[in-house]
Amino acid sequence: MKRLWYFLREAYISLRTHRASTVIGIITTAFTLSSFGTFLLLYHNVHNLIGRVQTNIQIIVYPNDAIEPQQLQGLKNAIQTEPAIDSVQVISKHDALKDFKHQFPDEAHLLEGLGKNPFPASLILNLTETIPSTDMVSNLVNRLQQNPNIERVRYNRAWIERLSLVITYMEIGALIIGGVLALASITIIANTVQLAFYTRQEEIEILRLIGGTNLFISIPYLIEGGVIGGLGGGLALAFLRGGFEFFKHKTHTLSVIGGFSSIFEFFPFSLSLILICGGILLGCVGTLTSMYGWMRFRL
Amino acid sequence: MIQLFHVTKYYEGCLALSDISLRIEKGECVLLTGPSGAGKTSLLKLIFGSEHPDDGQILVQNRNIARLRRADVPYHRRTMGFVLQDFKLLPHRTVFENVALPLIIRGLSSFESRRKVIEALRAVGMEHKQPMLASVLSAGEQQRACIARAIVNSPIILLADEPTGNLDPQLTTEIAELFKAINARGTTVMMATHNRQVVEQLNGRVLRLDCGHLLSDQGAYT
Repeated sequence: MKRLWYFLREAYISLRTHRASTVIGIITTAFTLSSFGTFLLLYHNVHNLIGRVQTNIQIIVYPNDAIEPQQLQGLKNAIQTEPAIDSVQVISKHDALKDFKHQFPDEAHLLEGLGKNPFPASLILNLTETIPSTDMVSNLVNRLQQNPNIERVRYNRAWIERLSLVITYMEIGALIIGGVLALASITIIANTVQLAFYTRQEEIEILRLIGGTNLFISIPYLIEGGVIGGLGGGLALAFLRGGFEFFKHKTHTLSVIGGFSSIFEFFPFSLSLILICGGILLGCVGTLTSMYGWMRFRL
Repeated sequence: MIQLFHVTKYYEGCLALSDISLRIEKGECVLLTGPSGAGKTSLLKLIFGSEHPDDGQILVQNRNIARLRRADVPYHRRTMGFVLQDFKLLPHRTVFENVALPLIIRGLSSFESRRKVIEALRAVGMEHKQPMLASVLSAGEQQRACIARAIVNSPIILLADEPTGNLDPQLTTEIAELFKAINARGTTVMMATHNRQVVEQLNGRVLRLDCGHLLSDQGAYT
């Protein structure tokens, strides 16, 4: 307990003594985390948006024209056993005709000369996965096409592939941008802590003189780095929230994107926490980087 | 207690200590004398574990310091106290906080720490100065605080490198008396000093060094 108090107190003294470099460290960390956070926010919302759009991705199965209603029901039951399928909606020939007449009342006369209902029966399949992979959809379609009762399967392959590609690119982009910005944050925090190291060199020598281990000497600096990183993360979150609210307000008043507030959302609590914890982690890694070089050759 | 076997030390090719062998028993008071650059500080640093010998072996309480792992050095240091000429106190901490530092490192309870700090401060006559900042103390008081910090852990060995180097004759006498009292309580004292007055006052075993060589080893000053 006495040790913990000592560590906290030392960290506080160091932060207070090096106020200028602490503030610079917090602000620069906040900026780098804000840049990363902006990208993360964009990714989060695009991911959500794609999740919503996915509900419109449907696979339409056209059974043989001669299929009996009982067989159609059997086909529906068979398709529903597929794990990738969430729900199946059956549209009979009669329903298809009714829908056409309902949607295009002015064109209904076109069907008058036909003795037979020209519309095929169909099954509309809704997928379970939020964001389906192209492989998953292709495999499903191949399996369906092998069914003798099915004449044709239609789905928007290009649209699904494009979606998958966008998500993959965004993930790679997030990794690269995140990596570069994390490295920048680590360097900045490492320099801030190293400055504290140099200004307190004599104090560190005294601690070594009286039997302080590297760990004992390092803990207050680790706390210091963690505090800088955590506050930087908190500030970044505040920047992002402010920016988000501003953007939301602007788009609302200008009516740039209809229903913006219902489409886009800010980070949920868990992601906000991850951003702050990420800042703390960056701070600690920065301190460790700085300390490793400093202590390596000292007995 | 302390044994050196053919210890040799170089600093960037310059000889600091040459083939030193000696044995120091528990409770002895050993004074290292000789001109500047004789190797007094180097010898203390080797025993303290802040330097490694280039050749030879050093045993401190049957532990081979020459083979000590880097991670074990702090634990070795906790068994001894070290007093330096330039005090090495934290200027913006109180006397109490400075003296308590080795106990915090050891993880002692607040109650135990307080008892030991007050005991150490009483031993050097600084009990009443405990709330004062180290930076406002006089040179003599700073050295007393430094000695209190060195003995607060009840070390078996107390090393001192020119502890009276910055003090006037009156203060030198007082500090030498403190070392004498600490040694009388059974602590092995090993002190590097130029000061003839201190050598006379402590009346211990005198090791005379010059250019890294041990010139003489006298049981007591005459």
